Amino acid sequence: MKKQLVNMKGTKDGFVLRLDDQCAYSDLVEELKKKVLEGGIDGKVDVQLYLGYRYCTDKQIDELIHIVQETEQLIVANVQSEVLTVHESNQKMIEGQQDTYIGVVRSGQILRSSGDIIIVGNVNPNGRVEAGGNVYVLGKLKGIAHAGVQGNKEAIIAASRFEATHIMIADQVEAMSDEHVKEINQAEMTCAFIGYDGRITYDQIHALKNIRPLLNVSKGGS
Amino acid sequence: MGEAIVITSGKGGVGKTTTTANLGTALALQGKKVCLVDTDIGLRNLDVILGLENRIIYDLVDVVEGRCKIHQALIKDKRVDDKLFLLPAAQTTDKNAVTPEQMKSLVEELKRDYDYVLIDCPAGIEQGYRNAVAGADHAIVVTTPEISAVRDADRIIGLLEQEEITAPKLIINRIRQHMMKSGDTLDVNEITTHLSIDLLGIIVDSEGVISSSNKGEPIVMDPANKASLGYRNIARRILGESVPLMAIQDEQRGMFSKLKALFSR
Repeated sequence: MKKQLVNMKGTKDGFVLRLDDQCAYSDLVEELKKKVLEGGIDGKVDVQLYLGYRYCTDKQIDELIHIVQETEQLIVANVQSEVLTVHESNQKMIEGQQDTYIGVVRSGQILRSSGDIIIVGNVNPNGRVEAGGNVYVLGKLKGIAHAGVQGNKEAIIAASRFEATHIMIADQVEAMSDEHVKEINQAEMTCAFIGYDGRITYDQIHALKNIRPLLNVSKGGS
Repeated sequence: MGEAIVITSGKGGVGKTTTTANLGTALALQGKKVCLVDTDIGLRNLDVILGLENRIIYDLVDVVEGRCKIHQALIKDKRVDDKLFLLPAAQTTDKNAVTPEQMKSLVEELKRDYDYVLIDCPAGIEQGYRNAVAGADHAIVVTTPEISAVRDADRIIGLLEQEEITAPKLIINRIRQHMMKSGDTLDVNEITTHLSIDLLGIIVDSEGVISSSNKGEPIVMDPANKASLGYRNIARRILGESVPLMAIQDEQRGMFSKLKALFSR
């Protein structure tokens, strides 16, 4: 019997579509089309696409997702792959770096960092902070902060006192109008992040542990 | 070898020129040899406030371009004997007539003969500002208790911190006691923590400052005035004395507190 190129497996995390990573891409597409049409599933089901060690371009991934979702029964929850390009890996490394700035970011000054940035001091009105990763302010954030400049939607902005005029995360922009100010409890340390609805949301800093569990890289404390 | 201090603010109309004139006079009254340099080329005012307008023959641009010697352009203020001099700005050209390098060598030369060289900076952050800051060793930032002035001061402090000068010091000008007390304007503490630089002194708002400027006589000449006291205190702090900050208080007291004071005696 010919080796199956597409496998549907049930795991404890839900259904996984395992795609063979050695065959030709065109064969894989063909078999995937057949496989998803076989059906045998009632209602809608979330599946994960597992690409193994095959490198797929964004366009190919989109094509695969499209094929699966055409059935209108399977919904791709996420795509997993074991490979990264050198470029992506470098990008991740740069974004993982950390810069520390001690002092006041004053009006008209722009502070840039390719990774995370920690500011020990205030960010004054019209001062601007741009980071490829997260922005942490140990002081008052009264100016403009932009996290995830390269498009990282997971980036967050945290400050001891959150009085910013503008907040930007990836491609989301928010001018802090009065209702937002009301939403934020000024007495508490606050963080901003992109919520489930794709818009900028605020919460107290202690909630961050649950919102972005991957930010925590330190060991211990248990 | 003296020290060169630039007096700047970013925003216009907060009292840079008045502060320069008064600090210069106060330092001269303390027995120091002071030279005031007006770098506001094209919009000169310092000579008017000092009442020396009609004695200008040569100006800063003439000196820089070699049409005269420095000492020919300097105007002596006769009220403070042989202590206070002014190098006026040119009125007929603009700020691009001078380069920062020329200013630097000019101030170097003045520092040899004077204890203090006070440079009056024009408003803005363009060429005029760069010229004024070029030769300075220290900087004084003047602001008023208004948000717009404090914003601009913040900007200018950011720029000054990138220059090779000592950390700038702050003067808060035109403090209205009753408004600060009622919370209608920013208070001294708020401004200093926002800008996070050292406070050199505060000047209370006084109508005397305007009338004396119009007469061409700096307010420090009048020892009874409260603004004058502020300037004198700042001059003493520049000389290294430690002078406590002036209390901001209204002298007018209501009937009730007068009565209370009467009984508590």
